[in-house]
Amino acid sequence: MGWSWLIPILPLAAFPIVGLFGRRLPGGGSFLTILAVTAGFAISVMGLIELTTTAGLEFNQGPGPFVVEFLRAGDLSVPLSMVVDSLSLVMLIVVTFLTAVIQIYSIGYMRGEQRLHWYFATMSLFAAAMLGLTITNNLVILYVAWELVGLCSYLLIGFWWERPSAREAAKKAFITTRIGDVGLLIGILLLFVNTGTFEMDEIFAMVNAGEVGSGAVTLSAILIFLGAMGKSGQFPLHVWLPDAMEGPSPVSALIHAATMVAAGVFLVARMYPLFAASEGALMVVLVIGTITAIFAALLALVETDLKRVLAYSTISQLGYMMFALGAGGMTAAMLHLVTHGFFKALLFLGAGAVMHACGGIIDIDRLGGLRKRMPITTWTFVIGALSLSGFPLLSGFWSKDAILNSAVEGGHWLTFSVGVITAALTAFYMFRVIFRVFFGSPRSSAAENAHAAEPVLAVPLVILAVFAVLGGWVGSPLIGDPFARFVYFGAEAGHAFESLGAILLSASAAIVGIIVAYSVYMLRSPSAETVREAIPAAHRFLARRAYIDDLYQWLIDHVSLALAVLVAMFDRKVINGTAVDGSGFLVIFSGSRLRRLMTGFLYNYAAFMLLGVVGLSIVIFALAD
Amino acid sequence: MIEAVPLSHVLFVGAAMFAIGIFGVLSRRNAVAILLGVELMLNAVNINFIAFTMYSAPSRIVGQIIAIFVITVAAAEIGLGLAIILQVFRNRANINVDELDLLRW
Repeated sequence: MGWSWLIPILPLAAFPIVGLFGRRLPGGGSFLTILAVTAGFAISVMGLIELTTTAGLEFNQGPGPFVVEFLRAGDLSVPLSMVVDSLSLVMLIVVTFLTAVIQIYSIGYMRGEQRLHWYFATMSLFAAAMLGLTITNNLVILYVAWELVGLCSYLLIGFWWERPSAREAAKKAFITTRIGDVGLLIGILLLFVNTGTFEMDEIFAMVNAGEVGSGAVTLSAILIFLGAMGKSGQFPLHVWLPDAMEGPSPVSALIHAATMVAAGVFLVARMYPLFAASEGALMVVLVIGTITAIFAALLALVETDLKRVLAYSTISQLGYMMFALGAGGMTAAMLHLVTHGFFKALLFLGAGAVMHACGGIIDIDRLGGLRKRMPITTWTFVIGALSLSGFPLLSGFWSKDAILNSAVEGGHWLTFSVGVITAALTAFYMFRVIFRVFFGSPRSSAAENAHAAEPVLAVPLVILAVFAVLGGWVGSPLIGDPFARFVYFGAEAGHAFESLGAILLSASAAIVGIIVAYSVYMLRSPSAETVREAIPAAHRFLARRAYIDDLYQWLIDHVSLALAVLVAMFDRKVINGTAVDGSGFLVIFSGSRLRRLMTGFLYNYAAFMLLGVVGLSIVIFALAD
Repeated sequence: MIEAVPLSHVLFVGAAMFAIGIFGVLSRRNAVAILLGVELMLNAVNINFIAFTMYSAPSRIVGQIIAIFVITVAAAEIGLGLAIILQVFRNRANINVDELDLLRW
C-alpha cells in the first residue's frame, strides 16, 4: 500500500496536462486521464489484495504510510496523512473503476465536442478530488477535496454553458451544496475546538475515550451531516440534483454513481465513530434518510424526463443509505453505495445512449419502442432497473436487504415499512420508464429512427450490467457475506437471513411494483390518465415537486431579496456614500482651500520657510526648558 | 587677541548677515539677487560655526571643517542655481521671479 498516495495524485497531475495541452493531444487527451484512473484502480486492487491476504492486519486501522506536512501555522500542523483501511479501499476501488468506465464511455458520447480536452481535464480533477477526499485522514484536506468536488460538479453540470438552463443548474447545484458545506466547516472547526486536532483517528480516539462532551459530539455530528445532506441531495437540500441533469449524461453518471453524491454517504460512514457516539445525531440521520427515501420516490412517479426520474431515484437510494447509517448499518449503507454505484452508472449511461440515439430527446412521452432498435441498451437498462428495484439475487437485492435488515435490527419499524413501500415505488417508477421508453410504439420520428449504440458506448454498458448482476454478491449471506467481514464498524457483523419475512416482503414489494407498472403502462388497466384524473390534487402536488422549489423561490424573492435590498442600501448610502465618497470629497475640499497657499511667488514660499523655522525653533526652545 | 572680542559680538555679526540675507531673499525680485541673499545666509552660518568652536574648544577644528563643507555645498548649489537661472533666461528672456508662475494653481 506504499503506492496508495499515487491514487489521487495521478488524476490530479493529469488535470493540468490535459487542461493545458489537451487540445493538441489525440482525443482531447482522454487516454491520459483514463490511464491515470486505471492506474489508480490497479493500485487500489493491489491494496485490497494486500489487506485481505496479509495475516493479522487490522482492517480498520489508522493513518497510512505516507505523511507530508501540508501547512503549518504556529503549533497547528496540517499533514497530508492518509488512511488506507477497508472503508477507504472499497471506496477507492468503486470510484476509480466507475470513473474509468465512464470516461471510456465519454470518448464515444462526447466525440466532436468543442471543449473536449477541458471536459476530460475536469473529469480528472473531479476524480482526484473524490479520491483525495476518500483517502485523507485530515479534516482540513477532506474539506479542501470536498469543495473541489463541488467545484468540479459546478464546472461539469455547466459544461454546456451556452445553454441558460445549464448555467442555472450549475449555479443551483453549487449554491445548494454550499449551504450544507457551511455546516460541514463549522462542524469541523467545532471538532477542532474540542479536540485540538484535525486528524480523524485522533478525534475518534478522543471521542471513544469520552474526552469530548456529548453535546459537542452531537452538535458537530449534526453539522457534518448537514454537509453530507447538501452533497448527497438529502431532503430538503435535494433540489439541485434533478436540475444537475443539464450536464452531459456521463457527468450525471459520475455525479450520481461514484463521486459527488457518494461523498456525503462516505463522509458519514468515515465519521461513523463520531455519529455512533451520539444517539441524537443518528436519529437525525435516520429521520432525514427515511423522509428522503420515500419523498424522492414519490416525486419520481410523475416525472417525465428520463434522466430526472433517475435523479430522483438516486436521491431516494441515498435516503436508503442514510437511514441505514442512522439505524447503525454502516456495512449495509456502504454495500448499497457500491451496488448503487454500479447500477446507477449503468442506468445513466443507458439513458445517455438513448439520448445519443434519439438526437437529445429525453422526454419519456416522446420516446418508445426503442427495444427493437437498441437491444443492448434496452436489456442492460432493464438489468440495471431490476437491480435497482431489488429484484431477487441481483446486486441491489442484497444491499437493499442488508439495509432493511439493519432497520429491523435497530427496531425502527416505521423506517422499515417506509423502506418496503419505497422499494415498491422504486420498482414501479423504473418500469414505468422502461415500458414507456423501450416498449410500445415510437411517439416521435427521432425514436423511430434511433440507431443502436456504437461499441464504445455499448461495452461500458455491458461491463456495468455484469457488475449490476454480480457486484452485490460480495454482500450475500448465501456465500457468507464477505463484505460485512471486511467493512464494518465496531464488532465484526455478518448478516444472515435473520428476518426472512422482511426479505420476502421487500422482494415481493419490488415484484408488485413491476406488475402494477406493467398493468398501468402496458395493459392500460387502469391507464395512467384514469389514475391521474382520479386524484388530481395529488398529481398536481407531485408534478410541482411538492412545491419545494416554489417555496425556495418565494423565500429568495421575499426574504433574501428584501434583506439584500436593505444591505445594498446600507452599502450604497453608508459605506459608499459616507465613507468612500466622503473621504474623497474631504480631500478635494481641503485641496481646493489649501491650494490658495501656492501663490507662485518665490518670496512667499521663502517667507513660509522662515516662519516654519522660527516656529520650530520656538517649539524646540520651549521643550528644552 | 581672540579673547579681546567677546562671543556676543561675533554672533551679532553672524545674525546681522543672516538677517540681511533673509531680507535680500524676501525682498528682491531678481533671481540672481535672491541667490546672493542665500549665499549671505550660508556665510552667516559659517561665522557662527567657527565662532562657537573658537570659544568652546579651540583645539578641535570641528566648526572650521563644517564651514568648509558648507562652502563646498554652497559652491555646488550656486553653480546649479545659476545654470537654472541661465536656462530660464534663455527660455523666457526674464529672471523676474514674480513672473515665473507656471506652476501656480
